[in-house]
This record gives sequence, structure tokens and C-alpha cells, in this order.
Amino acid sequence: MNTQTSQAVECISVRKHFGDGEARIEVLRGVDYSAARGQLSFLVGPSGCGKTTLISVIAGLLDTTAGDVTLFGESLAGMPEKQRVLFRRRNLGFVFQQYNLLPALNAAENAAVPLLAAGVKRAEAVERAGELLDRLGLGNRTKSFPRQLSGGQQQRVALARALIHEPRLIVCDEPTAALDHATGESVMELLANAAVHPDRAVIVVTHDNRVFHFADVIAHMDDGQIRHVETRQTAHSPDQSFSA
Amino acid sequence: MNWVGLQMLRNDKAKFLAMILAVAMAVFLMQNQAAILASILTMTASQIRDVQDADIWVTEPDIECFDQVKPMRDIALHKVRGLDGVDWAAPMLKVDALARPHNGKLNTVTILGVDDSTLVGLPCKMRLGNAADIRQIDCALIDPGGYALFFPGQALELGKTIRIHDRRLRIVGISEASPPFSGLPVLHTTRSLATALNRGEERMTSFILAKSSCRTNPSEVCERIATATGLRARTTDQFSHDSMVFYGNQGIPTLFIVTIAIGLVVGASITGQTFLMFVKENSRHLAMLKVVGTTGRQLGAMIAAQAGLVLVIGSCIGTGIAALICEVVRKQPFLRGLFLPWEIALITVATLCLVTGGAVFISFRHVQRLEPATVFR
Repeated sequence: MNTQTSQAVECISVRKHFGDGEARIEVLRGVDYSAARGQLSFLVGPSGCGKTTLISVIAGLLDTTAGDVTLFGESLAGMPEKQRVLFRRRNLGFVFQQYNLLPALNAAENAAVPLLAAGVKRAEAVERAGELLDRLGLGNRTKSFPRQLSGGQQQRVALARALIHEPRLIVCDEPTAALDHATGESVMELLANAAVHPDRAVIVVTHDNRVFHFADVIAHMDDGQIRHVETRQTAHSPDQSFSA
Repeated sequence: MNWVGLQMLRNDKAKFLAMILAVAMAVFLMQNQAAILASILTMTASQIRDVQDADIWVTEPDIECFDQVKPMRDIALHKVRGLDGVDWAAPMLKVDALARPHNGKLNTVTILGVDDSTLVGLPCKMRLGNAADIRQIDCALIDPGGYALFFPGQALELGKTIRIHDRRLRIVGISEASPPFSGLPVLHTTRSLATALNRGEERMTSFILAKSSCRTNPSEVCERIATATGLRARTTDQFSHDSMVFYGNQGIPTLFIVTIAIGLVVGASITGQTFLMFVKENSRHLAMLKVVGTTGRQLGAMIAAQAGLVLVIGSCIGTGIAALICEVVRKQPFLRGLFLPWEIALITVATLCLVTGGAVFISFRHVQRLEPATVFR
């Protein structure tokens, strides 16, 4: 794995609450977090600890209540909404737990969506998506619709959609949660091989301790804060993989 | 991205079909009712518009439409003929009488007696026969509706007879007279014969048809006639308009407008509600599109494209059905006046577009408010 340490993501004292008055819920309580380029960073913790909120804030989908998030040196705090959308379109890729593929589009068309959003012509976008799917082992399923694909295949299409526009940051939310162990393992292997790149950071939010060994860095989160960070170098396991 | 939106729409076949049907039914209902109303109002002036050689109609002062008949004094004709700007003037007598074919049903007919010498006032087109043959003794022209009524199921043929009072009239021509508002058969004959059939009435003129001279504005001539004679003089367009307004004020349009409004409200509400439901059910996918960087403008265009496709297909189907029904119905002799004006087709579709635009706006507001982070839940 690449050990380049230049930071892709930096969160400084990030706070986020929902609701007001008695209904106010503090989800992020001063999070300091960073993710480096060229690394596969895991964000782990119990349910409700704020992992999803943190990646939503990192992706610019939610505003912070306090603190700042910087992506590749650009602060999201003062960025207007429209600019933030365009920034996200250029620089971010997403993989979701439930795949979120459009049932009306086939695999190649689904993978091509970020290119279509960027204004690339349909034929060209679908062709590029087909090539990428081929590299991800789905060359024979490019014309299949989501309902015709297994969970693992759908997640690979989602991965292609996250990679197609060559983003600098990929955010994955529980990418293996809906998959069995073997399929989850192969998806993670694909993610580690295809997504990790010297100029790209990959953040994976997961519960699944069976895939922790893919991580370069694991940030443990609890109660709206990062409790501790493990790197491959600081891991205690004899094989230098992370403990569950 | 519009293509993605259209694919999403096409994928939800049930809603896509429901919206198309709702638009088609609304368009059909509105166009059909509006076409019937327009046709009825047009028919109130059809006998006026059929007369193409004269451009001025002179009547007694209180006459408001063609179906109101108040006999005029013969001196009026001479007064009109003597005025500046009047090229010529000819009388027309309108009489309602009971007629019966040989071994047939008794029916009321409208007899239009035109000037014996000039034949001014005859419809300009004939389906069969020669209009001038009405100069022969006891001869008349009949409109296609009248022929079908008196001689049901029989092919158009000259020489058939009908009896009015004690006279037997021979049909020497089938005219292309427009269907009248009254629905009665229209017979054209000479004024002398019409007078003979008009029992108990001495006066022989219901209308004076006049032609303005080529250098004069017909409206000005009308004013001159009214001032000089105290009669009501209207151009063909004005008299047609008067007739339409007269019948329009009888409450007929209100009934049609209620049905048209129901068509609009039902069609628009079903379309709007289904569309909103479609957008809400696709919230997660739309949120995903927002996450991957689809702008608000792109999403707005997508929603507009989806609504546009539904409107185009639905409007085409609705207009097609309305036009088809018009074409089928107008083959009936008495319903030959039914037509679908293109203005009505355009206005109904535009109205539905406007209302559906509201649904698109509400749907777009929903998408705008959609929190993209929901896609992680």
C-alpha cells in the first residue's frame, strides 16, 4: 500500500447537531480526523456513533454546525451550494450499502451516471463505463439491469460508478454490509486494488471486522468523536493486520 | 441527464401509463366539449355565412339573430336600394312550415325564399343538381340533413317530392347548406313560392341582403342604412356575431364550460398527483443523483422532460381521439357541422400544460428540499 501522507481530507473540531431545544442531538462532538491520499482509511464504530454523519459532512452533503472540513486544501465551509455540487461531481465518488443503482438503467448506464451528470455524451459515457466494468470483471453483464445482477455484481457496478470519473476521494458507506463474507471479501479486494491510487483517498465506513485487514488506517469512532487511530504500522497483530 | 429521467419514467410503466391516460382523457373531454360548443355557436350563424354574394343584412330594429323573424315592409327594400354605397339589395323571406314526403313523416322545415330574378341568398355550393332550377314551378333545393330525414337510407337523387300544405314541391337540387342551429331541414326556393307557402302573412320580406359598393366600407354603409331607414343593418360578420352572442347568452355555454372545467380538474389532478407520487417514490434515486453531482437545474430539466413526454403523448392521443370522433360523427347528416377548431386543440393542450406545470413545480420543490445525505440511511 502507498504510504504517502499528504492529507486529502482534514476535519478540524467538526461539530454537528440535529434539531433544537430539547430535541437537539449532538452527533459530532468536535471531530478531528484526516485521511491521506493513497490510503484505504476505515472509519469504524458502533451504530449511532456518527460515522455516516461524518462522511456526509466530509462529502459536503451536510453542513457542519462548527469546525471546518478541508478537501484537497479547499475548505467546504464557505463554499456556495452550487460550487459544492460541482466540486463533489469532479472530486468525489460514492459507494453505498444498498448500491443505489437506478433500476431503469443497465449496468453500463448506471456506471456512466457521473459522466452523464458532467455532460459527457451518452454513447461515450456508456462506452467508457463498459470498459471499466470489463476491468472489474463484469464485461459480460454490461447490459444487465440491476434486478438481473447478484448483490456482489451490483456492488461492483456501484464501484464502477464511483470510479468512472476518476475522483480524488471515494467514500464508501458499509459496502459489504449487504453481502455474504466471500462476496464482501471480493468486493473489498476489488476496492483495494482498483480504487486505491497515489492521488486518491478512500474512506470506508464499516461494521464488518472481517474486512479490517484491507485497511491502511482505522479510525475508531464512538459517541461523536474519534477515540483512537490505528495504522498498519501500529497494529498489534503479528501479521500486521488489524484486530477486530 | 434528461435521458436518465425519461428512462426512470419509462421503467415505472404503471404510473407512466396512468399519467398518459389521465392527460389523454382530460384533453379528449375538454376538446370534445369545446368542439361541440364551438360547433353549436357556429351553427347559430351558419345560414348567415352561407350567403356569400351579399355582405350586409338589414332587419327590423329589434332582431338579434337569424332565427328571429319579423316581416319587413316592402318599402324598406326600395329605401335601402336608394342609398349611397349600396350596390344592390335583394329580399329574402324565411318561413317555417310543416312538410311531409310521400308516405313519410311530418316535419317542420325552414324555407328560405330568395329573390326570383337574382337568386341572391342561395348557398354557394351544391352537392347535386343546379341551383337555378328552383325557378321552375314548385321546385326547391334541400340540404343533406333534410334529405336524410325525409328519405332515410336512400341515395341522393333528384326529382323526389315533399308536400307543404297542399302543394307538392319537387327537389331539384341538394345544397351544401350548413347545418342550422335549429336542426330543421333547410329548403331554398324562390321568394314567390315561399310567399305562397307562407299562409296568413302578407309581408314578403324577412331580411334584406345588400352589397356595399367596392369603394365603401360595409360597416359605414350599415350605419348609413340604419340612420336613413331606422332599420338594423349589420355586416355578415356582425350579424353572425350577434347570433352567436344571442344564443351564447341563453346559458348553453355555461353547461359546456362546467364539463370542460371538470375535465381539466380531474385530468390535471390525476396527472399531478401521480407525477408527484412518482417523484416521491424515486426520492432515493434522485437523492443519489444529487450526491453524485447532478445540479438542481439538471434535476429540474429532468422532471420537466418527464412531464413533457407525458403531456406530448397524452395530448396527441387525446387530440387524436377527439378529432377521430368528430370525423366519424360529422358523417351523420344533421351533425355535419361538428368540427374541432385547431385553436381549441391548442388552447386545451396549453391549459393542461399550464396546470401540469404547477405539478412539475411542486415536484421540483420536493426534489430541491431533498436531503442528499438521506441516501446513506
